[in-house]
Amino acid sequence: MTRWIGPFAIACLAALAGWYLTLAAAPQFIMGRAWERLAEQAGVNRMTHSPQVTAERQTIVRPSPDLAYSVCAFDLSAGPIRFHAQPVPDHYWSLTVFDSETNVAFVESDRESRGEPVEIVLATVDQTVPDGARRITMPSAKGVALLRVLLNDAADFDAVAQDREQSYCRPVQQP
Amino acid sequence: MHAGVRYGLMLAAGLALGAGTAVLQLRQSFAADGITAGPWRTGEKIGTADASVATRASVALRGLLALPEREAIYFNAAEDSAGRKLTGACRYTVSGGAIDARWWSLTLYDAKGYLIPNAARAHSLGSAALTPAEAGRWQVDIARQRTGPHWIAMPDAQPFELTLRAYHPSPQLLRQRGSVDLPRIERRECTS
Repeated sequence: MTRWIGPFAIACLAALAGWYLTLAAAPQFIMGRAWERLAEQAGVNRMTHSPQVTAERQTIVRPSPDLAYSVCAFDLSAGPIRFHAQPVPDHYWSLTVFDSETNVAFVESDRESRGEPVEIVLATVDQTVPDGARRITMPSAKGVALLRVLLNDAADFDAVAQDREQSYCRPVQQP
Repeated sequence: MHAGVRYGLMLAAGLALGAGTAVLQLRQSFAADGITAGPWRTGEKIGTADASVATRASVALRGLLALPEREAIYFNAAEDSAGRKLTGACRYTVSGGAIDARWWSLTLYDAKGYLIPNAARAHSLGSAALTPAEAGRWQVDIARQRTGPHWIAMPDAQPFELTLRAYHPSPQLLRQRGSVDLPRIERRECTS
């Protein structure tokens, strides 16, 4: 029986390591799958203004039916990407940029922008951005940006559409 | 059995046990979020590398693309205020007072975090839907049919979860998220 004391101790250590490593790897794994799904559905480096959230139309987990979402799955491999978030007057709105490990690289809402658009350029550490651009350096090439606009009620969705559709993401150097 | 085989088998078994435990932990509850306030669970430092590995994994699985806390706090519940699992076999009332944030919403999801189809599309209650008189004391029913002025539909008997979002939370709510008064979730009659 004593022959198993050493292996049993190894099993306990391995269980702890397996638990920790699984939790540590989960964000990047889940984000990677989500990025692939969004890229397949909506393309890369372009902002898609999603239709109103319903039970029949849910592209992300735990969506809020009180928000209008616009999403951009981006890939900086070919160069920096410019984001423009158009203000939606008298509404809460925010632009959030997530890296490939789900960390927030940038977030700004109507509270900070005070009625002005949010204009940023995402780039990896080795890329240059145009003079005067508000640079956000990303730790990895891929990520997801999400624009949220609060709807006062369901009928508000159409009312905010015109402003939402002026928001975009696109390569700084258009091909 | 050769010693190398014994060690190899136990190493593999340990790794599998640990990984399986992590997956079950994430799927079965919001406990990994870390902070408990009555039936509600929330985390801290969400959206940053400073959050615990358990919180980061839980948020990735159950609330991917969540906002950081200066923008919003998310409180999740899978149990009522008496600690019983939320189930569509019962009717519930959720009641609370003012929440110290710019606006808030309460939304019902299935156990995987998705909206449940219902004809009325009654998935949530937002603070914008309350009258000024209700802002300090409000109540919403969770039931098959509308039973009061505010109603979230639960069309069948499956388990469900609630998410309370508080956008632009006050500094006090941020500091006291684990001790602040949050809405009570009370179970009413159940069908067998």
